[in-house]
Amino acid sequence: MAAKEAEQTEIEVENEELQEDIAPGDCGSAMLIASDSFDSLVGNDYETELAIKKKKSHINEIVRQGSFEQEDSCGEQADVNHIGPYGDATTPSASEESSGEQSDPSMTKELSAVLDEISKSPDHDDDDVKTPEWKAQSKHVFILSDSGKPVYSRYGNEDKLVTVFGVMQALVSFVQDSAHDSIRSLVAGEHRIIFLHHENIILVCVTRGSESDRLIRIQLNYLYNQILSVLTLSTLKKIFKQRRNYDLRRQLSGSEKFLDSLLTMMEREPGLLLSAVRCLPLECQTRDMIAQSIVQHAKVKDLVFALIIANSQLVTLVRMKKYFLHPMDLHIIINLINAAESFKAAESWTPICLPKFDSSGFLQAHISYLDEACQTCLLLLTVDRDSFFTLSGCKTKITERLIKYNGLKAISDSLRKDSYNISKCGISDLRHFLYKNKSTAQYTSPELEAPYLSPGEQERLFGLYHYLHNRIHSSARPLKILYHVGQYEALLGWVTQGFELYAVFSPLVTKSLAINAVNKLMAWIRKEASRLFILESVTF
Amino acid sequence: MRVSGCVAEAGAAHLAEVGSPVARGPWTFSDIISSHPEDEEDVDDTYKVMLIGDSGTGKTCLLVRFKDGAFLSGSFISTVGIDFRNKVVEVDGTKVKLQIWDTAGQERFRSVTHAYYRDANALLLLYDVTNKSSFDNIRAWLTEINEYAQEDVVIMLLGNKADMSGERMIRDHGVAFMETSAKTGMNVELAFMAIARDLKMKKMRQPSDPTFNVAEYVDSQKKTPGCCS
Repeated sequence: MAAKEAEQTEIEVENEELQEDIAPGDCGSAMLIASDSFDSLVGNDYETELAIKKKKSHINEIVRQGSFEQEDSCGEQADVNHIGPYGDATTPSASEESSGEQSDPSMTKELSAVLDEISKSPDHDDDDVKTPEWKAQSKHVFILSDSGKPVYSRYGNEDKLVTVFGVMQALVSFVQDSAHDSIRSLVAGEHRIIFLHHENIILVCVTRGSESDRLIRIQLNYLYNQILSVLTLSTLKKIFKQRRNYDLRRQLSGSEKFLDSLLTMMEREPGLLLSAVRCLPLECQTRDMIAQSIVQHAKVKDLVFALIIANSQLVTLVRMKKYFLHPMDLHIIINLINAAESFKAAESWTPICLPKFDSSGFLQAHISYLDEACQTCLLLLTVDRDSFFTLSGCKTKITERLIKYNGLKAISDSLRKDSYNISKCGISDLRHFLYKNKSTAQYTSPELEAPYLSPGEQERLFGLYHYLHNRIHSSARPLKILYHVGQYEALLGWVTQGFELYAVFSPLVTKSLAINAVNKLMAWIRKEASRLFILESVTF
Repeated sequence: MRVSGCVAEAGAAHLAEVGSPVARGPWTFSDIISSHPEDEEDVDDTYKVMLIGDSGTGKTCLLVRFKDGAFLSGSFISTVGIDFRNKVVEVDGTKVKLQIWDTAGQERFRSVTHAYYRDANALLLLYDVTNKSSFDNIRAWLTEINEYAQEDVVIMLLGNKADMSGERMIRDHGVAFMETSAKTGMNVELAFMAIARDLKMKKMRQPSDPTFNVAEYVDSQKKTPGCCS
């Protein structure tokens, strides 16, 4: 952590000096599910969540509202028996299957040996994958099945890392079997090893970085959600119920790039840390017009969500009454369109599971770009598998209307580099900030400018935000306000019931100046709220 | 393009024989393979064509070659879900719209694409001539087609990447077959045109008319690598 090395002076500021009132950007009706609680993202709550959802799977609910009760129309019966045309050829044999179950007491000895090995020699060389480059990576992520089969490795070929995967599986199952407990993290030298264990999937992060364990666990959870969005939780369970030793890579082949890009997104996108979505600044009349274009031209039965995303920022979201989108699901959607080049070439129709919305089934997504430059992406999410042509027609009409009323131009203007820089706030010494409105789960943040233009500097800046966020949300000693002077900048974090604000100042600013600036910033955000945030929740 | 040019001309001659009632003067390349994406209103027929086959066999490349006449070189862009493109072609002076579904080859999309098989009028099944396992999987694909597709679906087997040299894997599966190359364009137009013609013939055919055999048709028209190149 850069801040650690810096000479630190930390003062907790008294509350009175900051003028706290309602959070700018509040609106009567939200469209995203606000989840300000940092920890709620981490929990292994899928089991209980699913148990509840069994009673009311959103997708089934919507399908049932239709006049036809077609049982197979929501795609949840993804048939594991027909996993592929190759069927039996690759079915794991019975002997393989039994090898997956290991719980013998002799493991204890083996395990301590393994533990020794890990802790004593990070440079222990027994595999050709463990090249200097492989070892030099500061953050490794491994995903494996319960029985220790490799699923994904951020770097290197999983097949050559089987021993590493085996060790991780052993660690998890050892703690589970011997202590009826679950392993959360290990420290080995300068590495931290963080585990997240879901029912069939184990996710492990090995890092030298400074992120908190909690943050890493959120990130691992995102990766787990990414896997669910490809397979659905029901399919995942079914697969492993049938064959405990199944090689999940067969089902995930081609989607490794989504895991890769999600990991990159986590390093650059504060929205995942904040559990909030960044909106593209637009005049509220323009945004209204865009939303109305969708409402008018996409009034289609079974359409659940319609959204426009430009450069990872939300332009508008129209939803079916009763249903809301979780920011985590929205991040999964953003990652999908960022990672897949193929959407730019043609209209696409793809199944996607939004785990927070309904982890038991797929929604069908009609994905298309509205402009030549492929900046503005329209997504129409439905439960009806046969509505591609209907939605394709909607897309054409929406595009026509957006061109007619200059909607696409407004979007591309707002995307221009200089359209949202920090100087627009008119506050000297303020370099950058993140402001999240908790009730709407939206955040706003200006473009990065000098000195945060190089990747290294950006990483350092996000390191500072992580630090600030972690200190404020510390479970042992949660803070409301934190003023921190680091080596290169001063930071101020301020969290109330309604909002979270993280601001970065030049290092020479004084505490009172910073507080003054923050008050000014809040006034500016309040003034600009209708442009910076989506305040209207539009429904079909 | 010379390759496909001569294929197309050969196709024209054949087409006059098979039963175009109105003989039109000398055929030119653009007469036969003309695309009018703009005026989609006045098409006479619309057919759904699906591209299927293992991941990485070149389905998208084949389609882009047919639609835009270009070759997608460089990095491997894998399709997510199903991509959709229209192409209007002319068969015997009538416009036929091909709605082409380009599917992802990855296994996870199989259960999804099954649902669309039954709507397809024609299936182009691809394998990669340089990849043995994609060839071995043809049988499994055909089984799947039998299970999910319409009974009268038109099937064409394409061995793609035929520009690559190497030993040929050919086995008779009882369906129309040819080798194609999205890179050079060899047989690409022919594959789609043969499909379009077959679908049209099927629709127009009176019970007394002779059947149009797409397998024989492509056999008489196709180029094999080495010829013309």
